[in-house]
Amino acid sequence: MRITDHPILEFTNKTKVLFVFNGQPIEGVAGEPIAAALHAAGVKVLRHSHAHHRPRGLFCAIGNCSSCLMIVDGIPNVRVCVEPLRAGMSVETQAGKGKII
Amino acid sequence: MIKSADVVVIGGGVIGCSTAYNLAKLGAGKVVVLEKSYLASGATGRCGAGMRMQWGTETNCLLARESVKMLSNLAERLDVDVDIEFTQNGYLLLAYGDKMESQFKKNLVLQHSLGIPSRWVSPEEARDIVPFLNTQDMRGATYCAEDGHCNPFKVTEAYAQAAKNLQVEVYTDTEVQGIVAKNGQISAVRTNRGDIQTDTIVNAAGGYAKTVGRMAGIELPIFPERHEILVTEPVEPTMGPMVMSFYHNLYCQQSPHGSFIMGIGHPDEPEGFDIRSTWQFLQDMANRLVSILPPLAGLNVIRQWAGLYDMCPDRTPILGNSPQLERFFTAAGFSGHGFMISPITGQLMAEMILGKPTTFPIQMFDAGRFERGELFVEPSVV
Repeated sequence: MRITDHPILEFTNKTKVLFVFNGQPIEGVAGEPIAAALHAAGVKVLRHSHAHHRPRGLFCAIGNCSSCLMIVDGIPNVRVCVEPLRAGMSVETQAGKGKII
Repeated sequence: MIKSADVVVIGGGVIGCSTAYNLAKLGAGKVVVLEKSYLASGATGRCGAGMRMQWGTETNCLLARESVKMLSNLAERLDVDVDIEFTQNGYLLLAYGDKMESQFKKNLVLQHSLGIPSRWVSPEEARDIVPFLNTQDMRGATYCAEDGHCNPFKVTEAYAQAAKNLQVEVYTDTEVQGIVAKNGQISAVRTNRGDIQTDTIVNAAGGYAKTVGRMAGIELPIFPERHEILVTEPVEPTMGPMVMSFYHNLYCQQSPHGSFIMGIGHPDEPEGFDIRSTWQFLQDMANRLVSILPPLAGLNVIRQWAGLYDMCPDRTPILGNSPQLERFFTAAGFSGHGFMISPITGQLMAEMILGKPTTFPIQMFDAGRFERGELFVEPSVV
């Protein structure tokens, strides 16, 4: 699902790029938040809560809430709601709190 | 609010709460704790949350050793249902240069004489403990596996609950504004919510201990000094011990929750009540930390804050009565290590106040030691 016609905003630059989500190639728009590309591709669950392993999706969408932390190009705890999409990126679901080494 | 009490404790930090609990337990009568903000709102709740036994003076070693013993089963001791998050993943104190190496080795002899299981480790052994530690120019380190971490809010809460169970009254948002005394005798404590008649006061006001002292006409050599600190996002268990370097003037530990808590001391920090955060700290902290623990560069900082060390000229607390004013006791001047010795300190203060023999001798830690020139200089402080 994408908004194509908007009364105020214009979406002119729509360069399609490929990235990899958990090993699957997915198409998105260059420069849009990774979360937007995932959402458009039907991916709603971004991580699971630590204590009860409940699914967590897009929540604040402005980089505040840590509901969307994922592993991007090997880096854990990336807030995909504010991380711009680039061609060839690797996006993975993160289990646990993230490994830095 | 209560109109009179046998003992009024000023300060709702971990020292105040621990002292109040022990006073009630030993039968001091009506005990009141006055806190101008919320419990643990001062130095206690702002501290680095470490617990170490590796000290350079006999007293600090003893107080820390006994406190670690008490913390290992604190909830049972106090009969409260509070998880204080006590974990023993050790402290690694890095040694650089001849002077530090010989001081650390001296400290080890002292620590061993008191049964503290610390040991010297080579740079290679240090890397067995923290594999990503940069050991360049390092002589080695001292390591004590039984040092660790505790949650200062939870410890304070545990003592406050236990104290309330013994009918101690704890008043938060209650500020002491004056102390009424005549002919060397205390008669009341004046607060923003009214007066409390009492003849005994415990000054556990941390960074504000000098201010409280002055209300009673007593000049204590305790001064407030800002120390800054930050916390990162939580990650999977990455680093076991607290890593501490007096050369870099920093400490860093991963908490049980997974976040890293770290701080540095600034030698030029002026005396004062300023607890604002600075961008310089953030930059300086990150640069120094990454030089010895490179992979931590990948962590995102969540929050930074600052708190006041209640500094004493010899970095050893003042525990004792005042020569000028009867029954005005001070438990402050902890110089950045009050939290980790709070369990036994509260007990010793209560014993002293009630005129009982103290578990360890502490009469030499009165404020008069500065006039006598009998200082106890603690060499191992960040």
